[in-house]
Amino acid sequence: MTQSKFENLSAFVDGEQSEQKLVDELCNDAQLSAKWQRYHIARDCLRNELPDELQLDIAANVAKALENEPAIVAPVADKKEESTTKPFFGQVIPMFRQGGQFAVAASVAIAVILGYQQFNQPEVDAPFNAAPTIAVSGIQGGLSPVSLEQTRALPASNVAEQKRKMNAMLIDHQQQVRMKNAESLSEDEKEKSEDKVDDQK
Amino acid sequence: MPFKKIFMAAMLLISSHNVSSMQGAVIDGVTYPANTPEAWLLKLNQGLRTLNYQLSFVVIHANSQLKPYLWRHSIVDEVEMEHLSLLNGPGSEIFRIDDKISYFEPNSVPFSRQSRYINGPIPVQFFKDPLKLKEGYDLVLVGRSRVSGRSAQQLRIVSKDGSHYGTTIWLDQETGLLLKLDTVDAAGNLVEQLQVTSLNVFEEPDPYFEKVDESRLPEVNRLTNLPGTEHAWQINWIPPGMKIIKQDIHRLAASKEIVEYVMLSDGLVDISVYISKTQSRPEDGGWVRHESNTLFSINNGALEVTVVGKIPPQTANRIATSIGPSN
Repeated sequence: MTQSKFENLSAFVDGEQSEQKLVDELCNDAQLSAKWQRYHIARDCLRNELPDELQLDIAANVAKALENEPAIVAPVADKKEESTTKPFFGQVIPMFRQGGQFAVAASVAIAVILGYQQFNQPEVDAPFNAAPTIAVSGIQGGLSPVSLEQTRALPASNVAEQKRKMNAMLIDHQQQVRMKNAESLSEDEKEKSEDKVDDQK
Repeated sequence: MPFKKIFMAAMLLISSHNVSSMQGAVIDGVTYPANTPEAWLLKLNQGLRTLNYQLSFVVIHANSQLKPYLWRHSIVDEVEMEHLSLLNGPGSEIFRIDDKISYFEPNSVPFSRQSRYINGPIPVQFFKDPLKLKEGYDLVLVGRSRVSGRSAQQLRIVSKDGSHYGTTIWLDQETGLLLKLDTVDAAGNLVEQLQVTSLNVFEEPDPYFEKVDESRLPEVNRLTNLPGTEHAWQINWIPPGMKIIKQDIHRLAASKEIVEYVMLSDGLVDISVYISKTQSRPEDGGWVRHESNTLFSINNGALEVTVVGKIPPQTANRIATSIGPSN
């Protein structure tokens, strides 16, 4: 799915575009149709026009429910990139092109990768969960800021994979933060803080 | 416009108080005299929770687009209501009515979760229990200055062991509300800046909330607050004042990859720790920065540890390298 198709779809929903080609694609493409439906639900909700019964797709078991969590749609990295060899580069690598309608996904796109910094540390052979904690010499208290000039070229085969993973984690982190349950910060004091608010009113 | 009349009346009322004096605060039997950082934080908390106000503010990160927001808060018939709106782009709207928060975002079906705290750009601990910040930070009252056209009290929130960025806030003298927040790294560079561009406080609740039809808000999705999962690993060093507030196993929406996950928080800063399988060769530690977040990652060829948060890379490193098998 290209970004321009989604942008066209958004514009279409807003009544700003009418291309017969888009209408045909809409009828034939299940993914595009689903998106069409969701745009309309969001729009109706914001305009207070929701029907009384709204079918929400929440599956029975937890694993499925996790997948159906309102996901931020991020453009999937082009599958071709994983198998081709990339030339060495150590400079600015744009992760995703900025899309117009992808509010959240576009805002998370990594615009600048500063390169991987190299720290002195011993090689770890053992599987991770059996290894002792890794000592990183020189990186304890009283740290000196890591210099941004010390970049090195990333090994070609890892790059696309790493970029994808990093971006996925950045997006997930932002989502986790937004959805975090602040009550968990102090379970036992939940009652107390509610009382405080009552007193202050 | 009735708004303006009410606003003027409110400002007259408020400005008739002696601006230079401030009540001390008593909380949990402890008295904080006026002009202590504790009293100011409590005044911020009280302002945020009990006043009827509307704030416009912007959030700025280096190398990134400025984000403008609108935040409304009112008490309607003793029920707290909030509305946070992102003003650029297709937008995102968050409504809170008492302990139910509803989200309306593009690309997503509207949903609700149960909580009294919206996690927005303003740190949640200011709304909840700001004195808890003393566990990890020292609070320092600085001077007075003019911010957003108003008289402001400056306050520094300094990490006790240097593991966190420094935060400086400016609070409105009259209402205690937040006017500005700067997050600064050890070298003095701005990591993030939040600035209120207009602040209106009202006697009466915002009429906007009358338009919100509660019956049309989505039902609470019970699955967003699932109980935690035990992991075979544990984090052996956590920055002072932080605690684990979430741990689970879930799938990353963007890559479909399954990760074991822990969130650390102190209400000011949130840190995500991910453990995932990896096929790549063992790598020395590395980090990138995106907006205000640091992403730090190390792997040993089989498993990869990634730490993400608004923290210095050295702190992320220390957390990641402290991970070992659970006892």
